[in-house]
Amino acid sequence: MICRVFDLLGPGSPVKTTLVLAVVFFLSVFAADVSAQKRFARTYPAGQDIRLQLMNRTGTVTVEGWNRPEVSIVAVMEAPAANIVPQSLSGMILINLLRDNQGRETGNVNFMIKVPFNSKVDIETRIGNLQVANVRSGLVRAHISSEGDITLTNISATAVSAENGLGDIFFDGEIMEGGNYRFTSMKGNINLRIPFSSSFKLIATAPSTRNINLGSFANSDLVYVGDGRRVTGKFRDGAATLTVTNQRGGIGFFSR
Amino acid sequence: MNCDECKNLIGVFMDNELAEPQADEVRMHLALCMDCALVCEDLASILDVCSTESTPDVTAPNSQAMWCRINNIIESEAKPVAPPEPEQPKGRFWQLSFIQLSAAVMCIAVISSLLTIVAVRNYNQPAEADFTTRSAATQTTIEKVLSKVGLMQTPHEAREARLKEQFAAIDYWNARVQERREQWNRTTREAFDRNLRVIDESVHDYRMILQKDPDDELSGEMLDAVMTDKMNLLRDFAEL
Repeated sequence: MICRVFDLLGPGSPVKTTLVLAVVFFLSVFAADVSAQKRFARTYPAGQDIRLQLMNRTGTVTVEGWNRPEVSIVAVMEAPAANIVPQSLSGMILINLLRDNQGRETGNVNFMIKVPFNSKVDIETRIGNLQVANVRSGLVRAHISSEGDITLTNISATAVSAENGLGDIFFDGEIMEGGNYRFTSMKGNINLRIPFSSSFKLIATAPSTRNINLGSFANSDLVYVGDGRRVTGKFRDGAATLTVTNQRGGIGFFSR
Repeated sequence: MNCDECKNLIGVFMDNELAEPQADEVRMHLALCMDCALVCEDLASILDVCSTESTPDVTAPNSQAMWCRINNIIESEAKPVAPPEPEQPKGRFWQLSFIQLSAAVMCIAVISSLLTIVAVRNYNQPAEADFTTRSAATQTTIEKVLSKVGLMQTPHEAREARLKEQFAAIDYWNARVQERREQWNRTTREAFDRNLRVIDESVHDYRMILQKDPDDELSGEMLDAVMTDKMNLLRDFAEL
């Protein structure tokens, strides 16, 4: 049928030549795109108390808790593809792309990792976004050396640390009694959505913008100091410790 | 009979208890010797008084008390004899008993302990990071005294020293970054430069504030934080 179409167009027809070139170009681009991305997938059995430690160079990392006793790691690598050599140590899954790709340039690596709900999660990247969801454990740590957003949703952990350079931080979770929560950004917005029944000691500092919005958490025990650059005090009994610092951005509190 | 023999016998003669021949000899001598005659008259007059006065008037009302007074008078008039001085041990000009010495040592120990407790309570050594955030307002009295005598850094000096250390570390990591930078792709270089620029702006702002108000604790704390952030950024990217 294609031959009949070409016959109809006639030999040496400009339309025919253009069509052929277009098809060749499309196929070459598609093939190049396919070859530029590599996929890595692996699953590890996990016990009750597993710790995921990931150090990425550039790319997005998404970690989600699920109701299975196993850790699923899927990574999509852009060219030049990075080496990924996960290590399953006693109670810990360790992925260190910095060590595994020392001295060589790599493209973005985007991770999609699923862990048991009660896993400890410790992830960091030099550039890129970090997202953690549905985790109930002793530790959630997300660290971005330079640019990227941190999104922590449905988190119930006694120790939470989120730190980035340029980018937003959003936390939606519980403040546990005796817990320690630390959110630090150089420039961006830090928004915390926590239950109104939370009890915490607070030191919130936004020295440049003086934009600290306590929302419904504002009360007489939380006072503005240093010309409005810092809010300090406690909400309810002050059972947890909450430290929020945004050097050149604002801080907002919302009730969930 | 001579005078001596007469005086020895005159008492017995006055009592009429002398034998008659001797009494005649005494009478003969008294008749011839004027001195012995006077002694005899004196004695006779004493005996006469004693015989005429009643006994209660003659005897002391309280002889024991009178003897006590006499003894006191004799003792007060007598020169007190100084007791021999004990020999002083060579090299010691004071004397302390063992109990006194123990008490003194105990007192010194208690006082020094109390002073130490007071000093420790007044001067809690601040953490290393805290040196940068301290100001004259938060200094304890002991810290102020030590600062004035030059035994301790003032908060301003401590902050400057800390900054100097941080700048030295930043220089080191910056040199490492410059070595690696050429191997980064364009996206990485741009992201790094953007972040460094924001941090440097913050450092500049806080230093300006602290120049105007060196006691601004919050700016001191934030300056320390952004310097640490800068160091961490450089270190993280030096590994790429």
